[in-house]
Amino acid sequence: MVPQFSALLRSVGHVARVRPRFAIGYGIVVATLLAALLAPLVAPYSPIEANPAQFLQSPDWHHLFGTDAVGMDVFSRTVYAPRIDLTIAIAGTLISAVVGSVIGALVGYYSSGRGVRVWLAYGVMRAADVLQAFPVFVFAIALVASLGQSIQTVVLAIAFVNAPIYLRLMRSQVISIREMRYVEASLVAGLSDMRTIFRHIVPNAIGPVLAQLSVNVGWAILLTAGLSFVGAGVRAPAPEWGSMIAMGFQNVVTGQWWPSVFPGLALAVSVFGFSLVGLSIEVFADPVKRRGLLRDMETARKANGARATRTVAGVGP
Amino acid sequence: MNLLLFIGRRLLFIAPQLLGIVLVSFMLVKSIPGDPAVLMLGPTATPEAIASLRNSLGLDYSLPVQFWIYLQHLALGDLGTSWQTTRPVLEDLLQRFPATLELVTLGLLTAVVIGISLGLASAFNRHGVLARIADFYGLGAGSLPDFWLALVLIFVFYTLLQWVPAPLGRIDIAVIPPNPITGFLTVDCLLTGNWEALRSALGHLLLPVMTLGLINAGPILKMTQSTMEKILQSDFSHYQVLCGIPHRMVVRHALHNALPSVVTIISVLYGYLIGGAVLVEIVFSWGGAGQYAVQGVLNSDLYPVLGFVLFSAIFSLFVYLFVDIIYFTIDPRIGH
Repeated sequence: MVPQFSALLRSVGHVARVRPRFAIGYGIVVATLLAALLAPLVAPYSPIEANPAQFLQSPDWHHLFGTDAVGMDVFSRTVYAPRIDLTIAIAGTLISAVVGSVIGALVGYYSSGRGVRVWLAYGVMRAADVLQAFPVFVFAIALVASLGQSIQTVVLAIAFVNAPIYLRLMRSQVISIREMRYVEASLVAGLSDMRTIFRHIVPNAIGPVLAQLSVNVGWAILLTAGLSFVGAGVRAPAPEWGSMIAMGFQNVVTGQWWPSVFPGLALAVSVFGFSLVGLSIEVFADPVKRRGLLRDMETARKANGARATRTVAGVGP
Repeated sequence: MNLLLFIGRRLLFIAPQLLGIVLVSFMLVKSIPGDPAVLMLGPTATPEAIASLRNSLGLDYSLPVQFWIYLQHLALGDLGTSWQTTRPVLEDLLQRFPATLELVTLGLLTAVVIGISLGLASAFNRHGVLARIADFYGLGAGSLPDFWLALVLIFVFYTLLQWVPAPLGRIDIAVIPPNPITGFLTVDCLLTGNWEALRSALGHLLLPVMTLGLINAGPILKMTQSTMEKILQSDFSHYQVLCGIPHRMVVRHALHNALPSVVTIISVLYGYLIGGAVLVEIVFSWGGAGQYAVQGVLNSDLYPVLGFVLFSAIFSLFVYLFVDIIYFTIDPRIGH
């Protein structure tokens, strides 16, 4: 177990040396998750208690990121925010991925042939067309408004607007996989359609969905922040990046940039981290790209080895 | 001929799709809590007044009947009335939609210029400095919240440097705007030769256009880069190089083959931005159609939301149709 673990660690190190951006991505994501978990230990002040005596203090040692217009510590709030933002984004993305992929797999499987199911599949695709023709943002706001403003409804709205992406992704995969011989074999062996789909087709089609997940968490964070920015998402004073940016909006124009700029920066960096992680999953899941990565690692090791020998021989730098 | 047949078939599909969009948005907006009659009359209204207004608005009918009434009005070009502006929604939208369209079009053009030029420059030399910058930009641009970038730009260029006017609307309050002809402020200024208004309008456009351009250049850049790379690695490009055809020509032919996918991503962005530029509109108090719709949702103002969804859906459907026609002219193989 232990040697296996250290070997794993070593190969992670190798990958990180060849593709430093992946390391940065995982670093950012882990740091964001840690901030969410350890917020009470990291934050010096309460995220929702205002100290009216100290409003709009510029950043200094007492208030690393300054204080906002009502005297709340911006740093503490920025550190607490991923608790809400990540919860919403991850929950919303997972729900949309599960619902979208299941429907997508069924629609893809029944997209050719005859019968009622084919018509149903066709209907589902046209419904997805209609949903995707909506302006995403207005649609999300309307959903939140109609269901009542709360964290759960923001999650639902995000799940709803993202589900068609997974539906299409899964459908296109399944359509090509269902022609494979092993699917035929499974049906000939007497497995039902459902068992064939979920035992043999879905595991082979899931790759692109997984790569999409991480990127989508980033989008979901952006959407959550956008909803809160217009006042249709998380309500102040709950610490959330988008509503913090909105609260500091008026101050930016008059020159107090810190209540808005710091939460926005934290938001951008964590979205960036999630998209880098998404990129790495894409590379690991795609055989062609994985080969490119392995080749680069090989070259790097050779160059390293050559340098080591040179140093031993006393001719190196 | 082939083309006409194709367009006809597409238009045939548009009608049921639009009906679906109107139906879904109608049901969705209707389910937003809040009684329009109460909101319109204010807190001091008598129950009788509310009841009579509900009656005249048709709120007492069942939902399917209300939908049918809405459709009938729609067929006559009546999109309903907004209780916030107390004006017909069609008038409001005709006034605001050009504002959004002007902003989005210029923003997208900026994005196209940045995205394609960076994408092409980095596709040639995968290990150069430019390619590294482009890679980083492609990843980073999509991570920035547009409303935040807008705020940062306002802070730098308005608060600190004072290079641009205050982020309040499309034109200085002191400047008299030209009479609307097309609704696009810059075009109207040019048509009427109103240079002072043109300068003011351009100054107000600068930051929001930059915001949209910088952020949306990311996807265009990535698409250009990856498609160009794939095509320059393809057999026909290699063959051209072997035949000794000048580098410039090889690239031009590759670009021609890369265009369909680049045009696709641009069209998708165009359709998306009509509603997606809402946050930037709000930051700059642009008074565009997106902002109008968001105000509508937040205040249970039903008809502006429906009108906006309808406008933007029709717009994106026509953008896609137009793009399909472009495909035909770029790549004759698609017709078959």
